Amino acid sequence: MMPIGNLARMVTANTLRSRRHFVLSAFGIVIGIATFVLFLASTEQVSSVLEKIFPLDQVQVVAPRASLLGKDISKKLDDAIVKTILTRKEVAQALPRMNLTFPAFGRGDFEGNDLKFEVGGFADGIDGSFVQDDPRIKEQFKDWDAINDPKRVACVPPPDSPTQEVIQSPGAPNANRPAGPQLGPDGQPTFDKDGQPNYGNPCPDPDEYYCDNVDQRCHHRVPVVMSPTMIELYNGQFAKSHGLPIADTDFVKFVTQRGGLSAMRFSIGLGLTTIAGSNTTIHHRPRRVEAVLVGISDKAMPIGMTMPIQYIERWNREFQGEEAATTYSSIIVTLRDKGQLAPFAQWLQDSLDLRLEDSLGQKFATVMFVIRLVLVLISLIIIAISAINIAHNFFMQVTERRRELGLLRAVGATQHDVRMVVLGEAALIGLIGGILGVLFGVAMALGVDYASAHYLPRFPYKPDTWFHFKWWIWMGGLACAAGFAVLGGYLPARKASTMEPAQALTQN
Amino acid sequence: MTANAPVIRLRDVTKSYGVGAAKTQVLRGVSFDVDRGELIALVGQSGSGKSTLLNIIGGLDQPDAGEVEVLGVDTLKANDKKRAAIRNESIGFVFQAFNLLDHLTVLQNVTIPSSFARDAKDIDGRGREALRRVGLSDFAQRKPGELSGGQKQRVAIARALFNQPKLLLCDEPTGNLDSETGKEVIDFFRELNAKDGVTLVIVTHERRISSVAKRVIAMRDGMIVETTDEALAAGRAGPT
Repeated sequence: MMPIGNLARMVTANTLRSRRHFVLSAFGIVIGIATFVLFLASTEQVSSVLEKIFPLDQVQVVAPRASLLGKDISKKLDDAIVKTILTRKEVAQALPRMNLTFPAFGRGDFEGNDLKFEVGGFADGIDGSFVQDDPRIKEQFKDWDAINDPKRVACVPPPDSPTQEVIQSPGAPNANRPAGPQLGPDGQPTFDKDGQPNYGNPCPDPDEYYCDNVDQRCHHRVPVVMSPTMIELYNGQFAKSHGLPIADTDFVKFVTQRGGLSAMRFSIGLGLTTIAGSNTTIHHRPRRVEAVLVGISDKAMPIGMTMPIQYIERWNREFQGEEAATTYSSIIVTLRDKGQLAPFAQWLQDSLDLRLEDSLGQKFATVMFVIRLVLVLISLIIIAISAINIAHNFFMQVTERRRELGLLRAVGATQHDVRMVVLGEAALIGLIGGILGVLFGVAMALGVDYASAHYLPRFPYKPDTWFHFKWWIWMGGLACAAGFAVLGGYLPARKASTMEPAQALTQN
Repeated sequence: MTANAPVIRLRDVTKSYGVGAAKTQVLRGVSFDVDRGELIALVGQSGSGKSTLLNIIGGLDQPDAGEVEVLGVDTLKANDKKRAAIRNESIGFVFQAFNLLDHLTVLQNVTIPSSFARDAKDIDGRGREALRRVGLSDFAQRKPGELSGGQKQRVAIARALFNQPKLLLCDEPTGNLDSETGKEVIDFFRELNAKDGVTLVIVTHERRISSVAKRVIAMRDGMIVETTDEALAAGRAGPT
């Protein structure tokens, strides 16, 4: 058998000697592989964006909605249910979510704009261990009131505004605004023309702490995370319609641009609402707390804000009673293996009369799978056609090179050697064509990204790039190119190897 | 293979091409031996079967029936790998059409048998030595397209000599050469046979080759019709 080094040298020399043959054979492979990697990279990117919006690694357990005479009689999700779910061996983690069950509204200042927004119904709580997206969130997203905090010192809270239900979060003291409330000649607190008290935040670390109206002590602001969907909605629609700047999806940059985490603070009026005619019964008089946006997390509720569940439990207990403080809105279950989803869902239904929330993510994943399948099939068809083209070219080549192949047999080549020479040439053409195809695909991707960045308007979740070239896409493209080329070269190689050398040598 | 065993031993070798009515019997029971160091001229009309016989001896073609033993190897029973190894190591071929590869240099053409040899050593050195023997030392880096017909045939001979074969099979080696160049080639063969003891079987129409052959085998219609120096003496082995 021919030594591999000699085979490689002969194959390379033969491939490079005929540019016409190379171009004719490799052209289809280049186009086929370019579309192959482009389609795969684009569906990969779209899938990852969709997975970011609709995480697939967790499922949400909910109680089926049921009502009787207008009263909600749905099954209660509580700690007992969580414990039961955790007994299942396929379950790695089960963490409850709890909705804020009473009215609340938020008020904050953003770029000089006084923003008011509904919080009740748009806020929930979850365990801090579930939201660990970045170091800032890891450090900030916890129940600060549960820890022994030396900064929780006594303070004088801002006075209630005579004209506003909820005041803006007061700023740190400065030369014009000393710490604490500023009193008038009559000894009463003074307010500016907008009804905001003349008050400097007296807490030791005013960027992170606020003075609570109830216990008159400094508390760390309630940490809040928002989903990327919120940022995209803000950027895509809200910012434009309100003349506000676009927020960077990189939260660190976003915070830096806004002047630090302190700029992300806002007030929440618990028990208050911006919606007229709300008839929710609450068991506590309204009060104000302060919160701060500490990060962007895909674990946050898609439309609204998410905070550590302990805050929600306390507030629900305070404003709605024990039942609201012990009833979860859903339980997020992380399975050890996605393949165990079906038996788990069946067990939920049969044993607990619960169900999995319809997962848009799974539906999108299925759609994406089908789209990817179709696109890959199209590119494989192109590559297959190019393999036929290779076969055609190699048949012509083998016929043209009969004498040469006959000579190789005469000087000691076996049938196997001749077959390997022809197959090697096909594989090399495939490999070079594959490399050129991948490069062409990447060039096209760069072109599409450039056009997208410059000519496509911004929209929610618009990616910086439409393509994600993972290593297996590159390798798959090259393997596919070489594989199909070898497939195309197989029959010509067989013909070449079985040719009678005596006849081949006498052929004109 | 023993020292006295023939280099080539043919018995009742038959070969036909085509099927049915188109079937042509090319060889009809050819038998002869070639001893070590012989220089044989195979002569005969076109279509008499001499080139087919040469190809069968070289393992480039297979007979329908008969026995073919070359350098002690039964080429009918040997597999493709074994036959290829004999061609690579012990047999050299020289063709009328030279069969040089135009994209390779002269030296690369000469050393091409080394591509199929395991553990080939000093390839370039041996290639240059082969070129020196045919008087083309200065042409190593030229391409075949830059050479004359005679030079091309000398490159082909150098290629055939690269592995220092025991047997040289030549099919009309002077057929594409002018008479002067042809004479040089014949002289070279005679010297190769006389000095190196290489066994040569030369298919030819050329009277001059027949004149230097130790034995002339004349063929007609796939059969041997004369096998002696008598044919030579009678001057009937030349072109017809």
